[in-house]
Amino acid sequence: MAYDAGAVIPAVFTILRCGLLPFGKESVLFFSRRATTVVFLSALAGACGTTAQPPVSPFVLDDFGDTIHTARPARRIVSLSPVTTELFFALGAGSRLVGRTHYDSYPAAALAVPDLGDGMLPNVEAILGVHPDLVVIYASQSNRAAAVQLRRAGVNTLAIRDDHISDFRRTVALLARATGDTLAGVAIADSVERSLAAVSARPRPARPVTVFWHVWDSPILTIGRGSYLDELVTIAGAKNIFGDLADPSPQVTLEEIVHRNPDFILVGTVTGQALRKNVLWRSIPAVREGRLLVVDTVLVGRPGVRLGEAARSLRALILKDTVR
Amino acid sequence: MRPRTWIALLVALLVAALAGLALGPVSLAPGTVWSALFGNGDANAIAIVQTLRLPRIALGIVIGAGLGVSGAALQATLRNPLAEPYLLGVSGGAAVGAVTAVALHFTSLAVLPIAAFAGAALAVTLVLLVARAAGARGDPRVLLMAGVVVGAFANAAVMVLLAGAPGDTVRGALWWMMGSLSDATWQGTRWIAVYVVIGGTLLLALGREIELLALGEDPAAALGVDVERATRRVYLAASLLAAVTVAGAGLVGFVGLVVPAIVRALGARSVRSVMLGAAIAGGALVVAADVVARTVRAPAELPLGAVTALIGVPFFLSRLRRMT
Repeated sequence: MAYDAGAVIPAVFTILRCGLLPFGKESVLFFSRRATTVVFLSALAGACGTTAQPPVSPFVLDDFGDTIHTARPARRIVSLSPVTTELFFALGAGSRLVGRTHYDSYPAAALAVPDLGDGMLPNVEAILGVHPDLVVIYASQSNRAAAVQLRRAGVNTLAIRDDHISDFRRTVALLARATGDTLAGVAIADSVERSLAAVSARPRPARPVTVFWHVWDSPILTIGRGSYLDELVTIAGAKNIFGDLADPSPQVTLEEIVHRNPDFILVGTVTGQALRKNVLWRSIPAVREGRLLVVDTVLVGRPGVRLGEAARSLRALILKDTVR
Repeated sequence: MRPRTWIALLVALLVAALAGLALGPVSLAPGTVWSALFGNGDANAIAIVQTLRLPRIALGIVIGAGLGVSGAALQATLRNPLAEPYLLGVSGGAAVGAVTAVALHFTSLAVLPIAAFAGAALAVTLVLLVARAAGARGDPRVLLMAGVVVGAFANAAVMVLLAGAPGDTVRGALWWMMGSLSDATWQGTRWIAVYVVIGGTLLLALGREIELLALGEDPAAALGVDVERATRRVYLAASLLAAVTVAGAGLVGFVGLVVPAIVRALGARSVRSVMLGAAIAGGALVVAADVVARTVRAPAELPLGAVTALIGVPFFLSRLRRMT
């Protein structure tokens, strides 16, 4: 039982957070098309020289369907997911964070924010202990009770479900509304979508390069069609061998991996070494022949500010193609 | 048991093994499997058959044999047709031992069974003390209650041990506790087989004592058996067998309950023949259950312990009804 805890936990955390809504490949394509439109429109907006903050209503609805008050910018924020923590720093609101999860390690300044433990089934008492005026939580069913408790305690609680790349713009917009800087939000979303579109526009190899994403060992978990990482693999120009499974983090067998025979296995640092030595995993040609690619899970595993960078790094890793 | 019945049991084992070889999440033609068995044909088929399916079958046979013999010996000695390592809390104790060893970084299958054995021996001692304290050693239900209570205690102990462990260990350990043959390798199976042969031989050697103990403690003592010593030896050897199976494949319940009953129903009378028959039938049952675990939800895999419990619990209930 040898695992790469440091690299695997954040990845699994992200995967486990992925929702159950099936998300077809078409949507990713749609997204690319939409992304270009958005880039185009925002370029226009930039040309017009709009600088004033657009008028906003004092409420938004979050992904639990609850009303969030955004009349006053939040000043003491608890962010319970690595993605939103990164985003708050990108929005220039890092100094307003008073709590994060155990897994929020980027940017380095985030480590100075108090660690409140898990983001899934969080410790409500610990959160209330830092007196936040806004808590951002992942909108999964298991977090529902915590959100209700926090609201009952009078804390503005924003639940966000960011399972897909297409959710990114909305996530940024919601957080930007909460911090009171909607323009910064638009700028971030534009820049991320621009980078993604640049990677997406690169030529695809005639014969698809297939990958198996090693998420977990016992049982073996990988990424399926419904996951953000599957979308990222597609944008990077490769093909996930389990892209046909609707489950975002399906359990699979070694036999099936041998059968689907991927060109590359994507793994975390320590996991890679363990797999190479494992008799059972060596039944996969890619493992036997050393076609293992080590993924920077902290960068790639999170659908956040560095999405563009993540897509670029995956493309460079799998197709050896550097996108400027 | 008539020779015909022995042959039938061996045929059942053979059929289960052939099914294990031929069926899996990846469908291979019988011809492909046959040539792969001898190292001919497609490299991936060879890997699937030789590295993934064969060791699984071997481990399944060894585990099933261990559980069957252990159950048969316990049932006779305790004069209780519902006695079984899992229900008696012996497997739970073994799990505590094994998890402790893993937490201390002893993961080799040469060492793990010994740690599991220590836990199992402790559990069986506890169960007998609890049953004795309840004052009704003759009542089979009291003993089972003690076993279930000790098993629950062991479960709690495992959870406490895991609470301090990193998240990846917890998930891995929980999967393992549900029982699975998915980590089967030749090297590991060899160690498990060595221990199963030792434990099985010990119990077969104790066959005459067990036979007499099955008559009751007083008759056994009257016929010259050192009851205390013989009982202790049977418990220890049966615990060793159960512990080894836990170290090799996690908690696989109810095999030790179902299999000896089937063998007795087929006409086995002497304790030795029940034990031998249970070894063969146990192997067949576990291999067959594993085929189900591997194929019904492919490419995902069911925990083996869940499959055996689905078979075992209704069986247990029907037995219990007949007793009361």
